[in-house]
Amino acid sequence: MNHDEAKKALLLHRPGRAEERDEQIAQALEQAKRDPELRRWFEQTSRFHEALAEKLQQIPVPADLKEAILAQRRIVRPIWWQQPVWLAAAAVIVILLSLSAFWFQQPRIRDHFSDYRVRMVRVASRKYRMDLATNNLNAVQQFMARRGAPADFVLARGLEQLHLTGGVVSNWRGNPVSMVCFDRGDKQMVFLFVVARTAIKDAPPQSAEVAKINKLLTSGWSDGDKTYLLAGPEDSAVLRRGQ
Amino acid sequence: MTDELDFEGLVNLHYVSLYRFALSLTRKESDACDLTQQTFYVWANKGHQLRDVSKVKSWLFTTLHREFLETQRRKTRFPHYELEEVTHELPNVEPELVNRLDSSAVLSLLAQVDPIFQAPVALFYLEEYPYKEIAEILTIPMGTVKSRIARGIAQLQAILAKTAETTRGLRKPTA
Repeated sequence: MNHDEAKKALLLHRPGRAEERDEQIAQALEQAKRDPELRRWFEQTSRFHEALAEKLQQIPVPADLKEAILAQRRIVRPIWWQQPVWLAAAAVIVILLSLSAFWFQQPRIRDHFSDYRVRMVRVASRKYRMDLATNNLNAVQQFMARRGAPADFVLARGLEQLHLTGGVVSNWRGNPVSMVCFDRGDKQMVFLFVVARTAIKDAPPQSAEVAKINKLLTSGWSDGDKTYLLAGPEDSAVLRRGQ
Repeated sequence: MTDELDFEGLVNLHYVSLYRFALSLTRKESDACDLTQQTFYVWANKGHQLRDVSKVKSWLFTTLHREFLETQRRKTRFPHYELEEVTHELPNVEPELVNRLDSSAVLSLLAQVDPIFQAPVALFYLEEYPYKEIAEILTIPMGTVKSRIARGIAQLQAILAKTAETTRGLRKPTA
């Protein structure tokens, strides 16, 4: 084994790991004992690995992440499904009492309409794969129904005049979201997101709530058991009209 | 399986390391949070399909990586590098250079490494997984894992050396 071969074997060697039993590494380690330059290089590389691992282990984790994950789980499979009713009621009371006592100390769970709006704008702004490419609204609705996403939604005024390009099933905290895509004809897209009203803690009222998020203008409202969000370029007339 | 494992216990055990791995891939806190949440969401729905309890951690890392790739929708085929090509590229980097950086600076360095090497290198440093497990998580052969880690480390050291050189150059007093 020459100097370079030994270096190659030692580069990926982490002392104290099972790899020490590897014959090539054992040979390279032996060689490092006889070759001061190789030994120096190996010691330096090991210290480099340790320093880097330590730095990465120090990455701080957002305070509300765990709560957000656990809250999502509660939506996916509510605990009371598996518990006697009285126990669930008692648990709810305890939770409410705890919440009221420690409300201001709790990290905010990102389940508000403003969070939903930001998340959906991000979905629209990123590259996405069209789950169903079609200009047939019925086909989109049937597809959404098959995927468990809201399907019997009503198009906002003016949208029917745009060119429908297809639909994507997205997700919001465990709830399927129907994303319907329209082409304005000038290479600009307008998106309609529909989710169950109960999926959003403070779903907007029936009158449209307009807000600019990043480069997109959004308009949100609720109708029946659904919450709608329309997002598109600022100069979209359909957004100004609201629902 | 999902019923056997306490969900909150599972989150407690793994969400920190999953988040750090996600951040090493996305470099954006919000994206890393989304990926971590999505991973546990997938677990809540499909975790019961996993028969071997000892594989839960690998399963979560595999899922997170798959979800990341899904969001990236990469179309390019990744080249395969041989380990033989690496040794001559390794600059001498003082470990003290790393010690002077904070974790976000180290993440920025990692972000400059070729994307194909980032996940193997992050798993190598973050979790100190055996190569066999990294290969399982990333669903690539073990030889490829080793070559990608080696190439990633070489790039990381080169970037670090260059950064240190630039910093030294900037600090030179003018005559």
